[in-house]
Amino acid sequence: MNPAVGLVAFLAVSITTAVIGFYGLRISRTTGDFYVASRTVPPWWNASAIGGEYLSAASFLGVAGLILLSGTDALWFPVGYTAGYLMLLLFVAAPLRRSGAYTIPDFTEARLDSRMVRRVTSLVVVAVGWLYIVPQLHGAALTIRITTGLPSWVGSTAVVLVVCVTVVAGGMRSITFVQAFQYWLKLTALAVPVIFVLLVLAGNDTPHQAQLPVNPTGQPATSAYQNISLMVALLFGTLGLPHVLVRFYTNPDGQSARRTTLIVLGLLSVFYLFPTLSGAVGRIFAPELAQSGQADALVLLLPGKLVGGTAGELLSALVVAGAFAAFLSTTSGLVVSLSGVISQDLFGGSVRGFRLAALLAAVVPLGFAFTTDTLALAGSVGLVFAFTASTICPVLLLGIWWRGLTDAGAIAGMVTGALLCGGAMVIGTVMGQGNAPAWLAQPAAWTVPAAFAVTVAVSVWTKNRVPASVNRVMSRLHVPERPVATER
Amino acid sequence: MTRVRVTAPRQSAKPVPLRFPYGGEVPEDSDVGRVFVRSLIRSQLRLALVVACGFLLILAAFAMLLVFGPGVAETRILGIPLDWLLLGLGIYPVIGLSAWLYNRAAARNEARYRDLVEDK
Repeated sequence: MNPAVGLVAFLAVSITTAVIGFYGLRISRTTGDFYVASRTVPPWWNASAIGGEYLSAASFLGVAGLILLSGTDALWFPVGYTAGYLMLLLFVAAPLRRSGAYTIPDFTEARLDSRMVRRVTSLVVVAVGWLYIVPQLHGAALTIRITTGLPSWVGSTAVVLVVCVTVVAGGMRSITFVQAFQYWLKLTALAVPVIFVLLVLAGNDTPHQAQLPVNPTGQPATSAYQNISLMVALLFGTLGLPHVLVRFYTNPDGQSARRTTLIVLGLLSVFYLFPTLSGAVGRIFAPELAQSGQADALVLLLPGKLVGGTAGELLSALVVAGAFAAFLSTTSGLVVSLSGVISQDLFGGSVRGFRLAALLAAVVPLGFAFTTDTLALAGSVGLVFAFTASTICPVLLLGIWWRGLTDAGAIAGMVTGALLCGGAMVIGTVMGQGNAPAWLAQPAAWTVPAAFAVTVAVSVWTKNRVPASVNRVMSRLHVPERPVATER
Repeated sequence: MTRVRVTAPRQSAKPVPLRFPYGGEVPEDSDVGRVFVRSLIRSQLRLALVVACGFLLILAAFAMLLVFGPGVAETRILGIPLDWLLLGLGIYPVIGLSAWLYNRAAARNEARYRDLVEDK
């Protein structure tokens, strides 16, 4: 691929992101604007922004790569990523919006009336955020290396720089605009090349005989345990992601939080058709990428390979732009929510503190990214979901629906989940991918139930610690707001 | 226009008392109000669990069909294998439909609660 193509695409996305960020800066005036966009973001904008933030390197590059590698087994990934939002809608969306919490630590502190719970939750949230940023930076490193031939560190460093500039300058308002724009950019960048490739293939005669081969890459099929464990991680991990909660605060009320989530589900469903298509096309026409360990680059290489010429270069540029939109949007979403947490707990919540915290939130994972390497983006993001599902999910779900939750139970559950799931991740990494047994490689199926069980057991055991405010908080979470326009 | 400095929400200062979102009524102050809130929460939880279990059952049925269904991998519609169609396309409308039905029912539960409180 022509190196200039990748560079131009990357620069275009970065500059657009920065411009929208600065445009946001001009209208970002008040405290409310800076933190939560004054809750005036309309549902469509907000839904696009949620979609933009959620569709990460794993969705843009990883899903197609994994489908190329393992076929129908990998189709569970996009299903899980989407269905996770269904679970979020059912159990979390409206109550969380009504809680008035801006971050997950805000929520647990208000619900359980305990500073200690707040601190533990903050630690877990920061761990989740950092873990989740690392694969984005790996994706950026891969993209830069494949498309321009520059060393890997250029890609990850560039992403961190652009994110820091936009977040530090604009805060949340501009981020919402940036994210919404990036959802549509990502959708276009995947859809247009795939459709073009399909048209070109339909124009030739030979591919009419081409059929989806059963197993062109020779990958062993994943076991039923692995698929179930993956679904547990994705279904219950989504609702605890820190950057998702921040988005819900920008809805005016609980009802609109539900409406926004419904739109998000539609946007995600449409989006995931295209990585699936890319993966299927790759399985027919480019199975050799799987053998050479470049599966995650499938989306990037497909247009140049199957279309070629100037059209192929233009399409490649579009895909590279979309890929960087994915890294930038997810990373900046995470950095915003992490800075919210870090600045409130460390810097007392001033704007300057928020900016310092943003730097801290972005630079630490860059260090991780330099020292680690990953084989499959979708897989490593799947592990982060497992970690979230084993730590934050039990506290959120039980906190919203069960009066009996206590601060001791919440802390015990989070610590258990973090130790079990984190331990499995570390041991699995040390043993190396492919060598670790399935229960270590995909731990959610046992760590999530364990975390729930410990949370409930310790809460029941420490019944006398149920906060006095529980009735007040529960009705705040569930009672509908007064309708904005009163009908009667 | 002057720039306003952000101060932390309920952190350094004493927490602002949670304002009750519904009108002036404070349901937890009366026994009847508490009963209403409890029944609202229970009906919302039941609804969420029913939709979640229904969806998970359908998901399990899809998985079963893929593993045990006779000739699913060989059946082709317009040249595309049935298992790809089911998992890559067919499941998304199920997710959307579950979400839409849930939203309607949840809004209905809340409307019923509002009516109860206003009739009181």
